[in-house]
Amino acid sequence: MGSFLSLPIMILVAALQVTVMPQLSIWGGRPDLVLLVVVSWALNTTLEQGILWAFVGAICKDLLSSAPLGTSLIGLIFIIFAIHTVRQQLFSVGIFTLIWVSLLGTVIQEVCIFMVLLLSGFQPYFASQLGYGIIIEQFRLFIVPTIVYNLIGIIPVYIVTRIIQRAVGTNLRLTR
Amino acid sequence: MRNWRSNRILFLGVCLAIALVLIVTSQAGFLAPIKSIVIAPLNFVTGLFNRTTQDAVKIADMSSDVPTLQKRVADLEEALARYQSELVELREVASDYQRLSELVNYTSQTQNQEFVAADVISNADANAPLQTISINKGTRDGITIGMPVVSQLGLIGRISDVTANSSRVLLITDVSSAVSGRLQTTRDEGSIVGQSNNDLRMEFIPLNAKVQEGDIVITSGLGGNLPAGLVIGQVTSVQQREFELFQNAVVRSLNNFATLETVLVITNFQPIDLSVFEQSTQTTPGS
Repeated sequence: MGSFLSLPIMILVAALQVTVMPQLSIWGGRPDLVLLVVVSWALNTTLEQGILWAFVGAICKDLLSSAPLGTSLIGLIFIIFAIHTVRQQLFSVGIFTLIWVSLLGTVIQEVCIFMVLLLSGFQPYFASQLGYGIIIEQFRLFIVPTIVYNLIGIIPVYIVTRIIQRAVGTNLRLTR
Repeated sequence: MRNWRSNRILFLGVCLAIALVLIVTSQAGFLAPIKSIVIAPLNFVTGLFNRTTQDAVKIADMSSDVPTLQKRVADLEEALARYQSELVELREVASDYQRLSELVNYTSQTQNQEFVAADVISNADANAPLQTISINKGTRDGITIGMPVVSQLGLIGRISDVTANSSRVLLITDVSSAVSGRLQTTRDEGSIVGQSNNDLRMEFIPLNAKVQEGDIVITSGLGGNLPAGLVIGQVTSVQQREFELFQNAVVRSLNNFATLETVLVITNFQPIDLSVFEQSTQTTPGS
Protein backbone atom coordinates (compact mmCIF):
# COMPACT_ATOMS: atom_id res chain seq x y z
CA MET A 1 0.00 0.00 0.00
CA GLY A 2 2.83 2.36 0.92
CA SER A 3 4.36 1.87 -2.52
CA PHE A 4 1.12 2.75 -4.34
CA LEU A 5 0.72 5.89 -2.23
CA SER A 6 4.08 7.24 -3.37
CA LEU A 7 2.80 8.52 -6.73
CA PRO A 8 -0.22 10.64 -5.63
CA ILE A 9 1.57 11.93 -2.54
CA MET A 10 4.70 12.87 -4.44
CA ILE A 11 2.72 14.60 -7.23
CA LEU A 12 1.02 16.73 -4.54
CA VAL A 13 4.28 17.37 -2.71
CA ALA A 14 6.13 18.35 -5.90
CA ALA A 15 3.29 20.72 -6.84
CA LEU A 16 3.44 22.27 -3.37
CA GLN A 17 7.22 22.57 -3.74
CA VAL A 18 6.91 24.89 -6.76
CA THR A 19 3.78 26.82 -5.72
CA VAL A 20 3.47 27.26 -1.95
CA MET A 21 7.10 26.91 -0.83
CA PRO A 22 8.41 29.88 -2.89
CA GLN A 23 6.00 32.11 -0.95
CA LEU A 24 7.94 31.15 2.21
CA SER A 25 11.30 31.91 0.63
CA ILE A 26 13.72 34.12 2.56
CA TRP A 27 17.37 34.79 1.56
CA GLY A 28 17.04 32.56 -1.50
CA GLY A 29 16.23 29.41 0.50
CA ARG A 30 13.04 27.41 0.89
CA PRO A 31 12.09 24.04 2.40
CA ASP A 32 12.84 21.03 0.22
CA LEU A 33 9.49 19.33 0.82
CA VAL A 34 10.24 16.36 -1.47
CA LEU A 35 13.42 15.59 0.47
CA LEU A 36 11.63 15.92 3.82
CA VAL A 37 8.77 13.58 2.82
CA VAL A 38 11.08 10.95 1.30
CA VAL A 39 13.37 11.03 4.34
CA SER A 40 10.46 10.90 6.80
CA TRP A 41 8.92 7.95 4.96
CA ALA A 42 12.25 6.11 4.69
CA LEU A 43 12.88 6.34 8.44
CA ASN A 44 10.08 3.84 9.10
CA THR A 45 10.00 1.59 6.09
CA THR A 46 12.11 -0.94 4.20
CA LEU A 47 15.09 0.01 2.07
CA GLU A 48 13.28 -1.04 -1.11
CA GLN A 49 10.24 1.10 -0.38
CA GLY A 50 12.45 4.04 0.61
CA ILE A 51 14.25 3.78 -2.71
CA LEU A 52 10.91 3.62 -4.57
CA TRP A 53 9.75 6.82 -2.82
CA ALA A 54 13.07 8.44 -3.69
CA PHE A 55 12.65 7.52 -7.37
CA VAL A 56 9.06 8.79 -7.58
CA GLY A 57 9.83 11.96 -5.59
CA ALA A 58 12.94 12.82 -7.56
CA ILE A 59 11.26 12.29 -10.94
CA CYS A 60 8.21 14.40 -9.96
CA LYS A 61 10.53 17.13 -8.69
CA ASP A 62 12.79 17.10 -11.75
CA LEU A 63 9.80 17.16 -14.11
CA LEU A 64 8.93 20.53 -12.58
CA SER A 65 12.46 21.78 -13.03
CA SER A 66 14.67 22.66 -15.96
CA ALA A 67 17.32 20.33 -14.55
CA PRO A 68 17.81 16.97 -16.31
CA LEU A 69 15.54 14.15 -15.13
CA GLY A 70 17.30 12.28 -12.29
CA THR A 71 19.25 15.26 -10.94
CA SER A 72 17.63 14.99 -7.51
CA LEU A 73 17.80 11.20 -7.52
CA ILE A 74 21.49 10.61 -6.81
CA GLY A 75 21.47 12.56 -3.55
CA LEU A 76 18.24 10.88 -2.39
CA ILE A 77 19.65 7.39 -3.09
CA PHE A 78 22.72 8.10 -0.94
CA ILE A 79 20.50 9.53 1.82
CA ILE A 80 18.15 6.52 1.83
CA PHE A 81 21.05 4.08 2.08
CA ALA A 82 22.61 6.15 4.89
CA ILE A 83 19.29 6.30 6.75
CA HIS A 84 18.73 2.57 6.37
CA THR A 85 22.22 1.78 7.67
CA VAL A 86 21.79 3.95 10.76
CA ARG A 87 18.12 3.04 11.31
CA GLN A 88 19.09 -0.61 11.86
CA GLN A 89 20.97 0.52 14.98
CA LEU A 90 18.14 2.63 16.42
CA PHE A 91 15.16 1.44 18.41
CA SER A 92 13.04 4.50 17.65
CA VAL A 93 13.26 7.84 15.88
CA GLY A 94 13.78 10.81 18.19
CA ILE A 95 14.25 14.53 17.74
CA PHE A 96 18.04 14.21 17.38
CA THR A 97 17.65 11.60 14.65
CA LEU A 98 15.36 13.96 12.75
CA ILE A 99 17.83 16.84 13.17
CA TRP A 100 20.86 14.97 11.88
CA VAL A 101 18.88 13.33 9.08
CA SER A 102 17.58 16.73 7.98
CA LEU A 103 20.98 18.40 8.31
CA LEU A 104 23.03 15.72 6.59
CA GLY A 105 20.31 14.97 4.06
CA THR A 106 20.08 18.59 2.95
CA VAL A 107 23.85 18.91 2.55
CA ILE A 108 24.15 15.64 0.58
CA GLN A 109 21.12 16.47 -1.58
CA GLU A 110 22.14 20.05 -2.39
CA VAL A 111 25.78 19.15 -3.08
CA CYS A 112 24.74 16.24 -5.35
CA ILE A 113 22.24 18.44 -7.23
CA PHE A 114 24.87 21.16 -7.66
CA MET A 115 27.47 18.68 -8.90
CA VAL A 116 25.06 17.14 -11.45
CA LEU A 117 24.01 20.62 -12.61
CA LEU A 118 27.66 21.67 -13.03
CA LEU A 119 28.41 18.50 -15.02
CA SER A 120 25.36 19.08 -17.22
CA GLY A 121 26.46 22.59 -18.21
CA PHE A 122 24.98 24.84 -15.49
CA GLN A 123 27.33 27.79 -15.08
CA PRO A 124 26.59 30.06 -12.12
CA TYR A 125 28.36 33.44 -12.02
CA PHE A 126 30.63 32.18 -9.25
CA ALA A 127 31.80 29.16 -11.31
CA SER A 128 34.98 31.04 -12.21
CA GLN A 129 36.01 31.07 -8.55
CA LEU A 130 38.35 28.16 -8.03
CA GLY A 131 38.79 25.83 -5.08
CA TYR A 132 36.90 26.56 -1.90
CA GLY A 133 35.31 29.75 -3.32
CA ILE A 134 32.66 27.91 -5.31
CA ILE A 135 31.83 25.63 -2.36
CA ILE A 136 31.53 28.53 0.09
CA GLU A 137 29.37 30.52 -2.34
CA GLN A 138 27.07 27.51 -2.89
CA PHE A 139 26.73 27.05 0.88
CA ARG A 140 26.06 30.76 1.45
CA LEU A 141 23.48 31.10 -1.31
CA PHE A 142 21.50 27.86 -1.16
CA ILE A 143 22.53 25.24 1.35
CA VAL A 144 22.52 27.20 4.63
CA PRO A 145 19.06 28.81 4.08
CA THR A 146 17.65 25.44 2.97
CA ILE A 147 19.13 23.69 6.04
CA VAL A 148 17.42 26.21 8.35
CA TYR A 149 14.07 25.67 6.63
CA ASN A 150 14.43 21.88 6.54
CA LEU A 151 15.32 21.74 10.24
CA ILE A 152 12.10 23.60 10.99
CA GLY A 153 10.03 21.59 8.51
CA ILE A 154 11.19 18.05 9.30
CA ILE A 155 9.17 17.70 12.53
CA PRO A 156 5.67 18.51 11.16
CA VAL A 157 6.40 16.57 7.96
CA TYR A 158 7.56 13.54 9.99
CA ILE A 159 4.44 13.66 12.19
CA VAL A 160 2.11 13.76 9.16
CA THR A 161 4.09 10.99 7.44
CA ARG A 162 3.85 8.76 10.54
CA ILE A 163 0.08 9.28 10.68
CA ILE A 164 -0.22 8.17 7.04
CA GLN A 165 2.14 5.21 7.61
CA ARG A 166 0.13 4.03 10.64
CA ALA A 167 -3.11 4.42 8.68
CA VAL A 168 -1.87 2.26 5.79
CA GLY A 169 0.07 -0.15 8.01
CA THR A 170 3.58 0.51 6.73
CA ASN A 171 6.20 -0.17 9.38
CA LEU A 172 9.86 -1.01 9.50
CA ARG A 173 10.76 -4.50 10.66
CA LEU A 174 14.16 -4.22 12.29
CA THR A 175 16.45 -7.04 11.17
CA ARG A 176 19.80 -7.11 12.91
CA MET B 1 26.67 -11.33 6.52
CA ARG B 2 29.17 -10.83 3.72
CA ASN B 3 26.60 -11.87 1.12
CA TRP B 4 24.05 -9.40 2.49
CA ARG B 5 26.55 -6.53 2.33
CA SER B 6 27.62 -7.31 -1.19
CA ASN B 7 23.96 -7.43 -2.28
CA ARG B 8 23.34 -4.02 -0.73
CA ILE B 9 26.32 -2.52 -2.49
CA LEU B 10 25.09 -4.10 -5.72
CA PHE B 11 21.63 -2.59 -5.07
CA LEU B 12 23.18 0.84 -4.47
CA GLY B 13 25.21 0.48 -7.66
CA VAL B 14 22.14 -0.47 -9.71
CA CYS B 15 20.16 2.50 -8.32
CA LEU B 16 22.99 4.93 -9.09
CA ALA B 17 23.40 3.44 -12.57
CA ILE B 18 19.68 3.95 -13.27
CA ALA B 19 19.95 7.56 -12.02
CA LEU B 20 22.95 8.22 -14.26
CA VAL B 21 21.20 6.67 -17.29
CA LEU B 22 18.19 8.91 -16.58
CA ILE B 23 20.37 12.03 -16.38
CA VAL B 24 22.36 11.23 -19.52
CA THR B 25 19.32 10.30 -21.64
CA SER B 26 17.41 13.33 -20.36
CA GLN B 27 20.34 15.64 -21.08
CA ALA B 28 20.63 14.16 -24.58
CA GLY B 29 16.93 14.86 -25.17
CA PHE B 30 15.81 11.26 -25.63
CA LEU B 31 13.24 11.56 -22.82
CA ALA B 32 11.62 14.72 -24.21
CA PRO B 33 8.55 12.93 -25.77
CA ILE B 34 7.91 10.93 -22.57
CA LYS B 35 8.48 14.02 -20.41
CA SER B 36 6.01 15.93 -22.54
CA ILE B 37 3.27 13.37 -21.74
CA VAL B 38 4.11 12.69 -18.09
CA ILE B 39 4.36 16.39 -17.21
CA ALA B 40 0.70 17.03 -18.19
CA PRO B 41 -0.94 15.80 -14.93
CA LEU B 42 1.81 17.44 -12.90
CA ASN B 43 1.22 20.75 -14.66
CA PHE B 44 -2.51 20.42 -14.04
CA VAL B 45 -2.03 19.90 -10.29
CA THR B 46 0.61 22.63 -10.16
CA GLY B 47 -1.72 25.04 -11.95
CA LEU B 48 -4.49 24.34 -9.43
CA PHE B 49 -2.15 24.87 -6.49
CA ASN B 50 -0.67 27.98 -8.05
CA ARG B 51 -4.07 29.62 -8.54
CA THR B 52 -5.06 28.74 -4.98
CA THR B 53 -1.75 30.02 -3.61
CA GLN B 54 -1.98 33.28 -5.55
CA ASP B 55 -5.57 33.76 -4.33
CA ALA B 56 -4.49 33.02 -0.75
CA VAL B 57 -1.63 35.49 -1.03
CA LYS B 58 -4.00 38.13 -2.38
CA ILE B 59 -6.50 37.49 0.44
CA ALA B 60 -3.71 37.68 3.02
CA ASP B 61 -2.58 40.97 1.52
CA MET B 62 -6.11 42.37 1.55
CA SER B 63 -6.76 41.48 5.18
CA SER B 64 -4.14 43.81 6.60
CA ASP B 65 -4.80 46.26 9.42
CA VAL B 66 -5.33 49.25 7.15
CA PRO B 67 -6.94 47.91 3.99
CA THR B 68 -7.87 51.28 2.54
CA LEU B 69 -4.38 52.64 2.97
CA GLN B 70 -2.92 49.51 1.48
CA LYS B 71 -5.19 49.79 -1.53
CA ARG B 72 -4.16 53.39 -1.97
CA VAL B 73 -0.47 52.43 -1.78
CA ALA B 74 -1.02 49.58 -4.25
CA ASP B 75 -2.77 51.95 -6.67
CA LEU B 76 0.03 54.47 -6.37
CA GLU B 77 2.70 51.80 -6.82
CA GLU B 78 0.94 50.52 -9.92
CA ALA B 79 0.67 54.03 -11.31
CA LEU B 80 4.31 54.75 -10.47
CA ALA B 81 5.44 51.53 -12.16
CA ARG B 82 3.35 52.41 -15.22
CA TYR B 83 4.71 55.94 -15.41
CA GLN B 84 8.23 54.73 -14.78
CA SER B 85 7.90 52.27 -17.64
CA GLU B 86 6.52 55.03 -19.90
CA LEU B 87 9.33 57.34 -18.80
CA VAL B 88 11.89 54.70 -19.66
CA GLU B 89 10.34 54.24 -23.09
CA LEU B 90 10.32 58.00 -23.68
CA ARG B 91 13.93 58.36 -22.57
CA GLU B 92 14.91 55.54 -24.89
CA VAL B 93 13.05 57.20 -27.79
CA ALA B 94 14.71 60.55 -27.04
CA SER B 95 18.11 58.92 -26.83
CA ASP B 96 17.54 57.10 -30.12
CA TYR B 97 16.41 60.36 -31.79
CA GLN B 98 19.51 62.22 -30.66
CA ARG B 99 21.84 59.51 -31.90
CA LEU B 100 20.02 59.10 -35.19
CA SER B 101 20.04 62.84 -35.91
CA GLU B 102 23.84 62.77 -35.59
CA LEU B 103 24.21 59.66 -37.71
CA VAL B 104 22.44 60.86 -40.86
CA ASN B 105 23.85 58.04 -42.98
CA TYR B 106 22.09 55.46 -40.98
CA THR B 107 18.44 54.67 -41.05
CA SER B 108 16.51 53.34 -38.13
CA GLN B 109 14.91 49.96 -38.33
CA THR B 110 11.79 49.65 -36.31
CA GLN B 111 11.58 46.18 -34.90
CA ASN B 112 7.96 45.07 -35.01
CA GLN B 113 7.75 42.55 -32.26
CA GLU B 114 5.16 39.77 -32.23
CA PHE B 115 4.04 38.50 -28.85
CA VAL B 116 2.34 35.39 -27.48
CA ALA B 117 0.70 35.97 -24.11
CA ALA B 118 1.08 33.13 -21.59
CA ASP B 119 -0.15 32.42 -18.07
CA VAL B 120 2.39 31.53 -15.42
CA ILE B 121 1.63 28.07 -14.00
CA SER B 122 4.43 27.93 -11.45
CA ASN B 123 6.54 30.75 -10.07
CA ALA B 124 9.59 28.73 -9.11
CA ASP B 125 11.88 25.85 -9.98
CA ALA B 126 11.77 22.67 -7.92
CA ASN B 127 15.55 22.72 -7.53
CA ALA B 128 16.73 25.63 -5.40
CA PRO B 129 19.83 26.72 -7.37
CA LEU B 130 17.74 27.26 -10.50
CA GLN B 131 15.37 30.20 -10.88
CA THR B 132 12.79 29.41 -13.52
CA ILE B 133 9.06 29.79 -14.03
CA SER B 134 6.63 27.65 -16.06
CA ILE B 135 4.20 29.05 -18.60
CA ASN B 136 1.23 27.40 -20.30
CA LYS B 137 2.39 27.84 -23.91
CA GLY B 138 4.65 25.43 -25.78
CA THR B 139 5.69 24.27 -29.23
CA ARG B 140 2.05 24.14 -30.35
CA ASP B 141 1.91 27.91 -29.90
CA GLY B 142 5.16 28.48 -31.77
CA ILE B 143 7.40 28.76 -28.75
CA THR B 144 11.02 27.66 -29.19
CA ILE B 145 14.08 27.63 -26.96
CA GLY B 146 15.88 30.97 -26.68
CA MET B 147 12.87 33.24 -27.21
CA PRO B 148 12.88 36.32 -24.95
CA VAL B 149 10.12 36.64 -22.33
CA VAL B 150 9.00 40.06 -21.12
CA SER B 151 6.28 41.76 -19.13
CA GLN B 152 5.05 45.32 -19.27
CA LEU B 153 7.75 46.15 -16.72
CA GLY B 154 10.68 44.70 -18.64
CA LEU B 155 12.75 41.62 -19.36
CA ILE B 156 11.92 38.42 -17.48
CA GLY B 157 14.16 35.82 -19.08
CA ARG B 158 14.51 33.39 -21.94
CA ILE B 159 12.80 30.11 -22.83
CA SER B 160 15.10 27.32 -21.64
CA ASP B 161 12.94 24.25 -22.02
CA VAL B 162 9.81 23.62 -24.07
CA THR B 163 7.20 20.86 -24.31
CA ALA B 164 4.05 20.67 -26.44
CA ASN B 165 1.85 22.67 -24.05
CA SER B 166 4.24 24.28 -21.61
CA SER B 167 7.60 25.98 -21.42
CA ARG B 168 10.11 26.86 -18.77
CA VAL B 169 11.61 30.34 -18.60
CA LEU B 170 15.11 30.83 -17.19
CA LEU B 171 14.80 34.08 -15.22
CA ILE B 172 17.41 36.82 -15.54
CA THR B 173 17.88 36.47 -11.76
CA ASP B 174 19.17 32.89 -12.14
CA VAL B 175 22.82 32.65 -11.16
CA SER B 176 23.65 31.09 -14.53
CA SER B 177 21.99 33.90 -16.48
CA ALA B 178 24.18 36.53 -18.13
CA VAL B 179 22.73 39.33 -20.26
CA SER B 180 24.53 42.14 -22.07
CA GLY B 181 23.24 45.38 -20.62
CA ARG B 182 23.65 49.11 -21.14
CA LEU B 183 23.08 52.09 -18.88
CA GLN B 184 20.40 54.14 -20.56
CA THR B 185 21.83 57.55 -19.70
CA THR B 186 25.59 57.10 -20.23
CA ARG B 187 25.37 54.22 -22.77
CA ASP B 188 28.08 52.35 -20.86
CA GLU B 189 27.89 48.60 -21.22
CA GLY B 190 28.26 45.71 -18.84
CA SER B 191 27.22 42.18 -18.16
CA ILE B 192 24.12 41.57 -16.03
CA VAL B 193 24.35 38.39 -13.97
CA GLY B 194 21.67 36.96 -11.70
CA GLN B 195 21.91 36.71 -7.94
CA SER B 196 20.00 34.19 -5.89
CA ASN B 197 18.17 36.88 -3.88
CA ASN B 198 16.21 38.24 -6.89
CA ASP B 199 18.72 41.04 -7.41
CA LEU B 200 20.95 41.44 -10.43
CA ARG B 201 24.55 42.56 -10.65
CA MET B 202 25.98 44.60 -13.51
CA GLU B 203 29.64 43.68 -13.94
CA PHE B 204 32.50 44.94 -16.12
CA ILE B 205 31.35 48.59 -16.15
CA PRO B 206 34.33 50.77 -17.12
CA LEU B 207 35.86 52.64 -14.16
CA ASN B 208 35.38 56.02 -15.85
CA ALA B 209 31.64 55.43 -16.33
CA LYS B 210 29.40 57.61 -14.18
CA VAL B 211 26.89 55.23 -12.66
CA GLN B 212 24.27 56.64 -10.34
CA GLU B 213 21.54 55.11 -8.23
CA GLY B 214 18.28 55.13 -10.15
CA ASP B 215 19.91 54.72 -13.58
CA ILE B 216 17.89 52.48 -15.87
CA VAL B 217 19.59 49.44 -17.38
CA ILE B 218 18.44 48.10 -20.75
CA THR B 219 19.53 45.22 -22.97
CA SER B 220 22.32 46.19 -25.36
CA GLY B 221 21.65 43.51 -27.97
CA LEU B 222 25.33 42.51 -27.93
CA GLY B 223 25.77 38.79 -28.44
CA GLY B 224 22.58 38.61 -30.47
CA ASN B 225 20.66 36.62 -27.84
CA LEU B 226 18.15 39.36 -26.98
CA PRO B 227 16.72 42.38 -28.78
CA ALA B 228 18.20 45.73 -27.76
CA GLY B 229 16.26 48.23 -25.68
CA LEU B 230 14.37 45.93 -23.30
CA VAL B 231 14.27 47.27 -19.74
CA ILE B 232 16.24 45.08 -17.33
CA GLY B 233 16.02 47.12 -14.11
CA GLN B 234 17.22 50.05 -12.08
CA VAL B 235 20.59 50.60 -10.38
CA THR B 236 20.20 50.53 -6.59
CA SER B 237 23.86 50.76 -5.52
CA VAL B 238 27.32 51.08 -7.06
CA GLN B 239 30.44 49.22 -5.96
CA GLN B 240 33.70 50.89 -7.01
CA ARG B 241 37.09 49.80 -5.69
CA GLU B 242 40.37 51.47 -6.60
CA PHE B 243 42.29 48.22 -7.07
CA GLU B 244 39.75 46.72 -9.50
CA LEU B 245 39.72 47.21 -13.26
CA PHE B 246 35.94 47.55 -13.45
CA GLN B 247 33.12 48.73 -11.26
CA ASN B 248 29.96 46.80 -10.39
CA ALA B 249 26.40 47.88 -9.73
CA VAL B 250 23.50 46.18 -8.01
CA VAL B 251 20.42 46.30 -10.26
CA ARG B 252 16.85 45.63 -9.19
CA SER B 253 14.33 44.43 -11.76
CA LEU B 254 11.01 46.27 -11.87
CA ASN B 255 9.31 42.86 -12.07
CA ASN B 256 8.28 40.93 -8.97
CA PHE B 257 9.13 37.41 -10.13
CA ALA B 258 7.30 35.72 -7.26
CA THR B 259 3.91 37.12 -8.26
CA LEU B 260 4.05 37.02 -12.06
CA GLU B 261 0.74 35.96 -13.56
CA THR B 262 0.96 36.72 -17.26
CA VAL B 263 4.00 37.17 -19.46
CA LEU B 264 4.68 37.88 -23.13
CA VAL B 265 6.95 35.75 -25.31
CA ILE B 266 8.57 37.60 -28.23
CA THR B 267 8.13 35.07 -31.04
CA ASN B 268 9.63 36.86 -34.03
CA PHE B 269 13.07 37.51 -32.59
CA GLN B 270 15.73 35.32 -34.13
CA PRO B 271 18.80 34.85 -31.90
CA ILE B 272 22.03 35.22 -33.91
CA ASP B 273 24.13 32.05 -34.04
CA LEU B 274 27.68 33.22 -33.35
CA SER B 275 29.05 29.67 -33.38
CA VAL B 276 29.62 30.04 -37.15
CA PHE B 277 32.29 32.66 -36.48
CA GLU B 278 33.87 30.48 -33.81
CA GLN B 279 34.15 27.63 -36.33
CA SER B 280 35.64 29.91 -38.99
CA THR B 281 38.26 31.28 -36.58
CA GLN B 282 39.19 27.75 -35.62
CA THR B 283 39.71 26.72 -39.24
CA THR B 284 41.32 29.96 -40.55
CA PRO B 285 44.88 29.54 -39.14
CA GLY B 286 45.34 26.13 -40.73
CA SER B 287 43.87 27.03 -44.11
